[in-house]
Amino acid sequence: MGLLYGLIAVGLALIFGLMDVTNFAHGEFLMIAMYLSFFLFAFFAIDPLLSAPLVAAALFIFGAVIYLLIVRFAMRAKANAGMVQIFTTFGLAIVMRGLAQFFFTPDYRSIPQSWLGGKTISVAGIFLPEPQLVGALVSILAFAGLYFFIHRTDFGRALEATREDPGAVALVGIDKNRVFAFGWGLGAALVGLAGAIMASFFYIYPDVGASFALIAYVTVALGGFGSVFGAFAGGIIVGLVEAVTALVLPPSLKSVGIYAVYLLVVFIRPRGLFGSI
Amino acid sequence: MTITRRDVLLGATATAALVPLAARAQTSEVVIGVIYPFSGGSAQQGVDAQKAYETSLEVINKDTDFDLPLAKGEGLPGLGGAKVRLVFADHQADPQKGRAEAERLITQEKVSAIIGTYQSAVAVTVSQICERYQVPFVSADNSSPSLHRRGLKYYFRAAPHDEMYSAAMFDFFDAMKKKGTKIETLSLFHEDTIFGTDSGNAQAKIAGERAYKIVTDIKYRANSPSLSAEVQQLKSANADVLMPSSYTTDGILLVKTMAELGYKPNAIVAQDAGFSEKALYDAVGDKLEGVISRGTFSLDLAQKRPMVGKINEMFKTRSGKDFNDLTSRQFMGLIILADAISRAKSTDGEKIRDALAATDIPGEQTIMPWKRVKFDEMGQNNDADPVLLQYIGGKFVTIFPPQAAIAEAVWPMK
Amino acid sequence: MDKDFAARRRRDLIIAAVLAVIAALTPLFVKDVVVQNILILTLMYAGLSQSWNILSGYCGQISLGHALYFGLGAYTTELLFTKFGVLPWFGMLAGGVVSALIAMGLGYPFFRLRGHYFVIATIVIAEIGLLLFHNWEWAGAAMGITIPIRGDSWLKFQFLRTKLPYFYFALALCCLAWFVTWWLENSKWGFWWRAVKDNPEAAESLGVDVFNSKMGAAAVSAFLVAVGGSFYAQFVSYIDPESVMGFQFSLLMALPAVLGGIGTLWGPVLGAAILIPLTELTRFKFGGSGRGVDLIVYGTLIVLISLALPRGLLSLFSRPKKTGAAR
Repeated sequence: MGLLYGLIAVGLALIFGLMDVTNFAHGEFLMIAMYLSFFLFAFFAIDPLLSAPLVAAALFIFGAVIYLLIVRFAMRAKANAGMVQIFTTFGLAIVMRGLAQFFFTPDYRSIPQSWLGGKTISVAGIFLPEPQLVGALVSILAFAGLYFFIHRTDFGRALEATREDPGAVALVGIDKNRVFAFGWGLGAALVGLAGAIMASFFYIYPDVGASFALIAYVTVALGGFGSVFGAFAGGIIVGLVEAVTALVLPPSLKSVGIYAVYLLVVFIRPRGLFGSI
Repeated sequence: MTITRRDVLLGATATAALVPLAARAQTSEVVIGVIYPFSGGSAQQGVDAQKAYETSLEVINKDTDFDLPLAKGEGLPGLGGAKVRLVFADHQADPQKGRAEAERLITQEKVSAIIGTYQSAVAVTVSQICERYQVPFVSADNSSPSLHRRGLKYYFRAAPHDEMYSAAMFDFFDAMKKKGTKIETLSLFHEDTIFGTDSGNAQAKIAGERAYKIVTDIKYRANSPSLSAEVQQLKSANADVLMPSSYTTDGILLVKTMAELGYKPNAIVAQDAGFSEKALYDAVGDKLEGVISRGTFSLDLAQKRPMVGKINEMFKTRSGKDFNDLTSRQFMGLIILADAISRAKSTDGEKIRDALAATDIPGEQTIMPWKRVKFDEMGQNNDADPVLLQYIGGKFVTIFPPQAAIAEAVWPMK
Repeated sequence: MDKDFAARRRRDLIIAAVLAVIAALTPLFVKDVVVQNILILTLMYAGLSQSWNILSGYCGQISLGHALYFGLGAYTTELLFTKFGVLPWFGMLAGGVVSALIAMGLGYPFFRLRGHYFVIATIVIAEIGLLLFHNWEWAGAAMGITIPIRGDSWLKFQFLRTKLPYFYFALALCCLAWFVTWWLENSKWGFWWRAVKDNPEAAESLGVDVFNSKMGAAAVSAFLVAVGGSFYAQFVSYIDPESVMGFQFSLLMALPAVLGGIGTLWGPVLGAAILIPLTELTRFKFGGSGRGVDLIVYGTLIVLISLALPRGLLSLFSRPKKTGAAR
């Protein structure tokens, strides 16, 4: 489970952490991805695992468009940039939920039969659910890919440079909007991957994103903004802490453990575990 | 004196204005407020409820030949055939908004009574407002036992509450034990809002009284992103019976997680809610062969009472779904309320209250497996017998109590 | 400059007094309880948002966890009332004091955090509070607390049908929050906060003083919000964790200030006056549909306003800065 949290968080880590843009609609991105994957299954019988790249591609476009249409302007705000970002994306989240309810109805959906759903590998008495296993695998790959991308390619360097000093990069001829639109697209595509995998074993309804969003924020912040590896580690820690807390405290309090660990970490290290900003 | 065209027109409008006025003296229309969540996480229940109420409106306002109160003839006979009109309001699962909407319905829409609300927390504030304005509140589908114990005069609930449901489950266990089935240990699994807490408390209490051993009592956070840790605990406890009290979302996740972690209990006896929702069976029905849920309604009843099937068809054309435990209670709730208004021969809150208190409808004149509808001094109908249903071969069959059962329970479940 | 400033402050005070008198007279003309209900909520959120603004707007410490103080106020009052028979008026003060103390206790570690880390920490701490109350049997857990109503009583601050007492209390709360803000603007603290916001490094030299002033802001802000929470509990006469400590309250306290103009004296009032009636009306109009239209309308407006007017609606009224400089 921790790796799945990581997978949801990694897209956020890119948007929130590397570009320093608050995105309160992250959970709704996940929701859209899950619906997409559901409809691909319902109408074309494409298994979520196969449709994952399609969903990721669709979300890439969606993310980039959202950036160009809305977020770009929020970032340009001269006053209160932080608040403007929070409330623009928050408003966006509400609109997306409303639209989902309007077009998809509030019915609970879920994909009854998929390659992954409900299957389990049992190793020496320990049950390893396949969706989680695949999720973990995809998550590791996604993290590795993103890490490589940020640190080894020109684009990654451009992204980091743009965040640190937009003025300077403009001089070198990098178009800030193009770089950030691409970054948003990439972040959204990663959420798309997560959504497609989640769709194979989770229920889907317009408010589904809310349960994951806060955990994703905490995961990213725990690992530290600006660090891909941090988000990865954060995901694993969150998963572990959750499991341990559920054993020690009443399970209805299990999130308290996650939150307490976050507070503890930032009190000791105000920039998260591996944060640079 | 010549009569001009204008005078004629004036005269005509005057009479036209007078006629409905005279009719209104005997009330041409009765307005009832319906408060549900129409947006947010439980919007689906609100939308389904709307369809159920529209179905009962059809039965009341049109001439149908069912053996239900008010079915024959149009409108409310006690008020000269006045039609019932419903006003829907959205409480968004927020007690404050429920309160505000109730007040708006009473003061602006001039409703004669209010019916609602799905969420128990909202029923608390809505019924308080109704009490203050002396307008009856019919709690159609709230099952929290604490609701009717607040000494409210204008509160009525025709359906059973969770203690009655839980008692029925334990009656069933006792009966099974007599037949030699081993039922000693129980795992309780309930969510942390009013519904789950109340249900869990009731079950724990009765289990204590009847000497069943509760091996795990797990309270979990509603709408959790993951239930793996919880299911691990259920699995390692491995009780004879798993008793979940969950709404739809958590129910789906619970069943999926159980399948993933390879946990197959001998029996699942569920406290309704999510486990009576079509969405849950669409999602994970294949893993639930043999699950038992309590209910107040069963389509089996159509075999004994053909009208149940016909009314279900009416509902199905509107909603595309069969009646379930919630929608059937909503349907019946409005019929009972409208019947009381008709008998009260008035839209005055206090008179309707007295008529509700005097309600005595035999079970055969409902679509429910109840003995009768008769409210005690707290506004609770204690003769609403719950039933236990088992999900077999894609549909529910009644297995308990014996007088309503059409099949034997399959134990252990597959 | 100083003269201008003083003149502006005098003008603000006069406008506020006039508005308060007008508001106080509205119930003479507005008899409809539904409209009165909207007015009460508007005033309450204006007061809450004004209090939030002290910490988040003036001090620049953006908190999305004020629901914690709101809930603490509500719970302290009602627990004292239902369990020990302490009158709500004292409970209100107690709730305020408890919240202020907790705010200061939290401020000590929290103010070391920057930016997103601080915001997330505030969300998380409110969420922890919510979960704890959800599982605290003695405080009613998920069942919440129903406040027994035994007829109209000023002593117990509860009224069956009339809304006027609630209205005047909400008005008083709103005025109090406004006046505190007005007073702080010109205080030593207000001066430090402006300095910190304009230039964090320079403010480092002020060191301890600034830290203490932030603690003060947190305490004042939490106290007022908790009083608002107590009021809300009495007004609704039923509380459960979700309905007084949910995340939506943190947002609803911040939104009016942000829409109206964050860190300004009039922003929260203006924002609330527009936002709350709008929310209620969209629900009346579209809420019964079950299609989420109310959400779409509401969300779109938030996006548009925050994009078009990053300084808030108030910026529409303010004269361009140049004129001031030219003088």
